[in-house]
Amino acid sequence: MTNLNAIDPAAVAEEARIENDDVVMAKSAIILRRFLRNKTAVAGLVLFLALTVFSFAGGFFSAWDKETIDPFNIGMPPSAEHLLGTSQAGIDLYALTVEGTRISILIGLVVGLVSVLIAAVYGCTMAYFGGKVDKVMLFVLEALIMMPALLVVAVATSGGGDGLRENVPSWLLLIIVLLVFSWMGSARLIRSLAMSLMQRDFVKAARYMGVPARRIVWRHLVPNIGSLLVLDITRGVTGAVLAEVAFSFVGIGIKVPDVSLGVLINQATSQVQTFPWMFWVPLVVMFLLTGSLAMMNDGLRDAFDPGSGSVGRARRKGK
Amino acid sequence: MSGGASNAVLSVRDLNVRFNSEDGVVHAVRGCGFDILPGKTLGIVGESGSGKSVTALAAMGLLPETAEVTGSVRLDGKELLGLSDKAMCRHRGNDIAMVFQDPLSSLTPVYSVGQQIIEALRIHHPGMSKQAMAARAVELLSMVGVPGPRDRLKAFPHEFSGGMRQRVLIAIAMANNPRVLIADEPTTALDVTIQAQVLEVLHTAQDETGAAVVMITHDLGVVAGMADDVVVMYAGKPVETGSAEDIYYNPRMPYTMGLLGAVPRVDVADKASLVPIDGIPPNLVRPPAGCSFAPRCPLAEEACLQGEPELLPVGGPEESGALPGSGAHQAACIRTDAVGPGVDVHELFHAPPVPVSCFDAVPRQERRTVLELRDVRKHFPLTKGSLIKRRIGTVRAVDGLSFDIREGECFSIVGESGCGKTTTLLEIMEFNKDQDGEVAIGGLSNKAASDARTRGAMRRELQMVFQDPTGALDPRFTVFEVLSEPLENAGMAKPAVRKRIMELMELVGLQPDHVNRFPNQFSGGQRQRIGIARALAVNPRLVVLDEPVSALDVSVQAGIINLLDKLRAELGLSYLMVAHDLSVVRHISNRVAVMYAGKIVEIGHVDTVFDHPRHPYTRALLSAIPVPDPRLERTRERIILRGDLPSPLDAPRGCNFATRCPVFAALPAAKQEKCLTAVPPLGPEAGLQAGERAAGPDQQFACFFPDGEIDADMLVFHEASDLPDLRSTTPRTEKMKGTP
Ligand SMILES: Nc1ncnc2c1ncn2[C@@H]1O[C@H](COP(=O)(O)OP(=O)(O)O)[C@@H](O)[C@H]1O
Ligand code: SF4
Ligand code: SF4
Ligand SMILES: [Mg+2]
Repeated sequence: MTNLNAIDPAAVAEEARIENDDVVMAKSAIILRRFLRNKTAVAGLVLFLALTVFSFAGGFFSAWDKETIDPFNIGMPPSAEHLLGTSQAGIDLYALTVEGTRISILIGLVVGLVSVLIAAVYGCTMAYFGGKVDKVMLFVLEALIMMPALLVVAVATSGGGDGLRENVPSWLLLIIVLLVFSWMGSARLIRSLAMSLMQRDFVKAARYMGVPARRIVWRHLVPNIGSLLVLDITRGVTGAVLAEVAFSFVGIGIKVPDVSLGVLINQATSQVQTFPWMFWVPLVVMFLLTGSLAMMNDGLRDAFDPGSGSVGRARRKGK
Repeated sequence: MSGGASNAVLSVRDLNVRFNSEDGVVHAVRGCGFDILPGKTLGIVGESGSGKSVTALAAMGLLPETAEVTGSVRLDGKELLGLSDKAMCRHRGNDIAMVFQDPLSSLTPVYSVGQQIIEALRIHHPGMSKQAMAARAVELLSMVGVPGPRDRLKAFPHEFSGGMRQRVLIAIAMANNPRVLIADEPTTALDVTIQAQVLEVLHTAQDETGAAVVMITHDLGVVAGMADDVVVMYAGKPVETGSAEDIYYNPRMPYTMGLLGAVPRVDVADKASLVPIDGIPPNLVRPPAGCSFAPRCPLAEEACLQGEPELLPVGGPEESGALPGSGAHQAACIRTDAVGPGVDVHELFHAPPVPVSCFDAVPRQERRTVLELRDVRKHFPLTKGSLIKRRIGTVRAVDGLSFDIREGECFSIVGESGCGKTTTLLEIMEFNKDQDGEVAIGGLSNKAASDARTRGAMRRELQMVFQDPTGALDPRFTVFEVLSEPLENAGMAKPAVRKRIMELMELVGLQPDHVNRFPNQFSGGQRQRIGIARALAVNPRLVVLDEPVSALDVSVQAGIINLLDKLRAELGLSYLMVAHDLSVVRHISNRVAVMYAGKIVEIGHVDTVFDHPRHPYTRALLSAIPVPDPRLERTRERIILRGDLPSPLDAPRGCNFATRCPVFAALPAAKQEKCLTAVPPLGPEAGLQAGERAAGPDQQFACFFPDGEIDADMLVFHEASDLPDLRSTTPRTEKMKGTP
């Protein structure tokens, strides 16, 4: 290419790299390469995976579990025997953190994934059928958005939900309630996106080439909404983790004996002065968790969205 | 250099504008300077991104805070740069006013047009009485030719058409009799007929107020007739300046020459290839080491890369130090001697030879028909009311269209926006048996069969290239996926698909190893090439081109037009093209149809129709197109149509053009009756014998009074003062045969 861009050494390198690549590459390889190019995102992914592994396998590295009380160490700071110290009840904090992290990640992942799935199906259905179907579904959606989530959570997990609480663990209840209230925003977004996509020239082009409708939806609509979905998932997971902490913090989310990061933080707040480690350990884990997701977000957008200027980023670094 | 011409109203010196962007500092304007005298017009031309708009906004003090502006902008000797926003407001809209490209977004939708004009008056004349302001607003609206100005004061912007809104904007800009009016692409978003009206309004406004006008545009034709001086900008810098005649007849910088060679002419039948300028403009984030045009310049040599050439007089050193706008001819090029009127621009830029199709030698009647439309109609019901829909009329988007396209031929449809061009294309692409009228593609009729297999066969015969090259490509598809979609859909095997894609890339002039890139990694012109490659993938015989180059810059457009020409010749393709740029149409088409309000008003061989238009609408349309030739442009007569396309509700009973027809307006009442009651049929010259018809020119029109005399009020000459007698005696006498 004979433009001045070519004088830039980084651009030349990029050019040469693209040219030396095997001519036809798989799409997934391109996406992966774009993701890997963003170092922050890769760090985020590693961190998130490490936390997940820790929450499942962490228990094996400690002799204690979240129920055993150590009567000789009550409210002790970190020591050789209890890596992260113990709680006021004499339970090993390391074991509690592992358990709490697992519950938090579980809530986050389930709520994040399932709510986006519901949103995608609901949103695309609205856009696809349009007309009356769209109107009715939109009304339901708006009505749900109006409902105060906090109140419902409070009722479901405490007083009003007594019967339920006997049979269902509080974390599952929280997941269900969070799910009910988390998908509407995305659904509305996906609906309008899908609607505008159906008007685009490339969809028309495919129609005029005689590509069947099913294939157009699958090959053009879904992938174009796809990057939004991926971003929505990471955002949804973060949102759910934070919502759990918030609800548990005000005492209406997860209930003891179940533990979660929110429960741990909540229990420790009253005694930050005397038992600082009880407060800081779960808080740091929570930050690592949400932070790793935020770091991944950027890289995922670059990887899936060709408009995001991932090439520009590479050039900038080269300067 | 600091003083400039003492009598200049606006003098700009060494203007530099930098933006901080995510990719680094964009140096959008790099040392722009010009002077403009009262009552004169300065044209600033350049491709998109060359810094034209930023220069204008900098002069108006309208750039965002993030922009770093240095240099000097003096209005009547008073420095404007560095003034606070409040101080600037005293000048803005008062001494110096601006008209923008997009008339809708520059008007506030919630206020009536009258309120907005009065607002402009009140800011600068707080003492003016209400009645005086209202009277002035009416006066302004009638100056810009808004019909019924008193009633229209209360109308809201959305009730106006694009051309009318642009007039309102001009009225607002002229409200306080500014000394300087800056018009940034004021007609780019408008149809040619409306463009002619708006340019005329600008001309009148300038005449009445004696304002200096800065006319910013990418269209070399628009400035040719208006500008006294021209500045050509490239990569944020003026690269050549001079009087309009210097620039158009004696360009001395390769870029200017290339640009002039890249635009097709609507007034010449010559079919030479257009001059393509390879490459794309430089990225303004990295300052160029040498001449910014060097990477695209055919004359570039080692010395061009040693520092950026200064703007120097081309005549000789005696005029040095003169500024753009002072009329001196200057160019920023070290090889001005190698360029000039004696140099063939086609040779200089290595324009390809004119491709010859094997069909060109075969008479039209003997070639196969690839597409035939017979009496195709598409009417949309016009309804009112949201709850209970009442039908209040019919929009006859396409109203009885018949034409055919033969092998190896390019057939174009032209007309104002809203005349039904796109609907025609969509009707052809839809292809089903419920349509009103017959569409036959390669012998397959929509009436005969519409099962999936026939439609599949039809899809392989017919492919489409879209107007917006970016929107037509799925941003998530690599080029490979884009091109493989039609092939896989046609059931081609994987290895064959790969091979075919490499072939296609080569065919449209793209590097085959770029197939892994996403569309956003290509420039606009390259994206359009991808679009063309996709259309050609399945070897169609007919390609439908919907405004294929209107989204591209002139220099890039030339490359695409040449490519289309080449493909037509090499592959024996036929094209059905829709375009509003008649110059492009003349350049690549063989036959043309002029559409007005859903009907073809004139059809025939492109040279016959363009050189001897018979229908008043065709005549008006052709006269409205500015040509890049200042002398011709200044003396050309122009038919200025009144108003816009009629609303479908009050569609006339007789000839649908009667409401705007310049011939009709000049007819005696007895003859007008005929136009109002009967629909003129589309046909060859009446009164010819059957034998004569076949031998006569390939041209048909739908008018009872072809070549009729044009109403004098709708004829316009610029420079009327230089040509005193021409206004009353229409010079088109040679064509005034027939009906008086
Ligand atoms: N507000 C802004 N922020 C950053 N860059 C800008 C801004 N406005 C314009 N530019 C850049 O300045 C350059 C010149 O733009 P412009 O004057 O609009 O070109 P033209 O009017 O000749 O088409 C372009 O590269 C454009 O991207
Ligand atoms: S200075 Fe050199 S590169 Fe620039 S326009 Fe002139 S000849 Fe071309
Ligand atoms: S038929 Fe009459 S109104 Fe129609 S175009 Fe001809 S002269 Fe004008
Ligand atoms: Mg501009």
